[in-house]
Amino acid sequence: MVVLFSSQNISKAIAQAALVAAVCFSGLFFSGKAFAGEMESAQDLLARMAKASRELNYSGVFTYEHRGNLTSVKLVNEVRDGKIYQRLLHMDGSQRDVVSRSDSLDCVRAGDMLLRGNALRINDGSYSRLEDFYEFHIKGDDRIANREVSLVHVIPKDRYRYGYVVAIDKASGLLLQSVLMNHAGQPLERFKFVDISIGSSSSYIDMQIEEGEFAQINQTDCIQVNRKIEASQSMWDVNWLPPGFVLASHQPPGAEGQESMMYTDGLAVFSVFIDSVQGTVLPPVDAKLGATVAVLTNVDISGNQYVICVVGEVPRGTANQVAGAIRLAQ
Amino acid sequence: MSDHKERLEQSLSALMDGEATEMETHRILKAVAEDSQLREKWKRYHMASSAMQGDPASSSVDYSAAISAAIDQEPVHRPGRMAVVASSAGRFAIAASVALVAVFGVQQLNSPVDNGNQITEFAAVEVPEEAAGPAIQFPSGFQPTINARTVSVGGNNKSSQRTIPVIEVQQQIEKQYSEAELRAYLNSIMSRHSDHAALNSNQGMLPFARLSETGSSAAGEANAEKE
Repeated sequence: MVVLFSSQNISKAIAQAALVAAVCFSGLFFSGKAFAGEMESAQDLLARMAKASRELNYSGVFTYEHRGNLTSVKLVNEVRDGKIYQRLLHMDGSQRDVVSRSDSLDCVRAGDMLLRGNALRINDGSYSRLEDFYEFHIKGDDRIANREVSLVHVIPKDRYRYGYVVAIDKASGLLLQSVLMNHAGQPLERFKFVDISIGSSSSYIDMQIEEGEFAQINQTDCIQVNRKIEASQSMWDVNWLPPGFVLASHQPPGAEGQESMMYTDGLAVFSVFIDSVQGTVLPPVDAKLGATVAVLTNVDISGNQYVICVVGEVPRGTANQVAGAIRLAQ
Repeated sequence: MSDHKERLEQSLSALMDGEATEMETHRILKAVAEDSQLREKWKRYHMASSAMQGDPASSSVDYSAAISAAIDQEPVHRPGRMAVVASSAGRFAIAASVALVAVFGVQQLNSPVDNGNQITEFAAVEVPEEAAGPAIQFPSGFQPTINARTVSVGGNNKSSQRTIPVIEVQQQIEKQYSEAELRAYLNSIMSRHSDHAALNSNQGMLPFARLSETGSSAAGEANAEKE
């Protein structure tokens, strides 16, 4: 700890003291492990990050880079009356401006839960915890968007998921940079703030927008510790999931006949879509675009064609294996 | 699926994503030469990444036969890059046909960034997209070469494949679907995945940034579509 956070001024010393206190506190909840100190402090940073990105007011510009393309996006996040409002304005290309209102602050979803260091129960009765599937290392300090950050390397323990290099703002806990790394240590995508102001309220989000214009919110995916999302009745069974992934959301077939499930291990996310096919039967494909992979397979069930698509920021092999494990429920 | 087969498919995935170790590359090359099912899978990967990236040359054609033929006609001694590739293929002692593609691909992926050849190839790959108009973010006259290269990693076998100088393949298989349809479906799926991910993960706004990326390039690709 002392080496990692050698303090040169008072604010650093305070941050260090706070961190030590936080580690001691969170240490109560973790089973004792050798060299646990470093891991827990990194996890503590991530847990703080999970809260900060939702609960703080901030606005700034970030860049997103993948396969040689660079785009920039202006973002405003505001908490008003216990609800989170977000506005995203794409700064390049065609005009795209999205205003959204998401969950109330009280709603915590599966991914958040895991990232905050909690365990979630999986179908087979075991528990999913972030530290069972990733190693966390604090790699030192840096400066991003003119702010002091801690660099954390998040390294997967198996080949079912990718790793990350994240930079977390020391003062606020906000995520200021995230680089998704493949197993060869090459970056697949990079997200990075170039400028951010934190804590100030903004007039950028127009409160006059009609309620109906915000995106639909599904509060049913909010969960409590040690609980799992109960899937509603489904035609389909997913017979294999990469270890550590839990169901975060399930949408039964709607008007368009599409059923979807979303799974997360706290960091990585993939979705499963099942459509009944009208018209053209698409070929089976495995497609990859930057960090996102899409695996599409067809099944014929007594003359009815279905297309199963697994999409997510996971290695191709993981998506393939999930797609191959989807069966009609007995 | 047997353990062995599962491992092979994982390795193939890794190879496609430019993440395979040398051991895995060996193993997969050997297996692909013997296993037609695996070879089929490999073809699918290439077809799919072509469709995703709007490669006008995408097809479900088996290159391996054409490459075999090309190799038969190849002079025994050939200076330069090809010789290096051919000799490494020989060293691996594998049926040459499919292996050549792979070895070439792997060598391309492993070559240093400042390889002149590679830069040209990368620029060449960008050309059809550039013709598509608004999707391209680079100002005119600015070649997306070495700067772009720094983050363009993995899964780039498509461009590697193009560099094999001896093949001209005619499209042989009648398609029952259009690539535009496939792309439209993949894009709608990705957009819904982004909605999911933004709500249900800690990635916050990041999924929407991904979406803008895929959405805009897809629009360009649809324009370039020559059905």
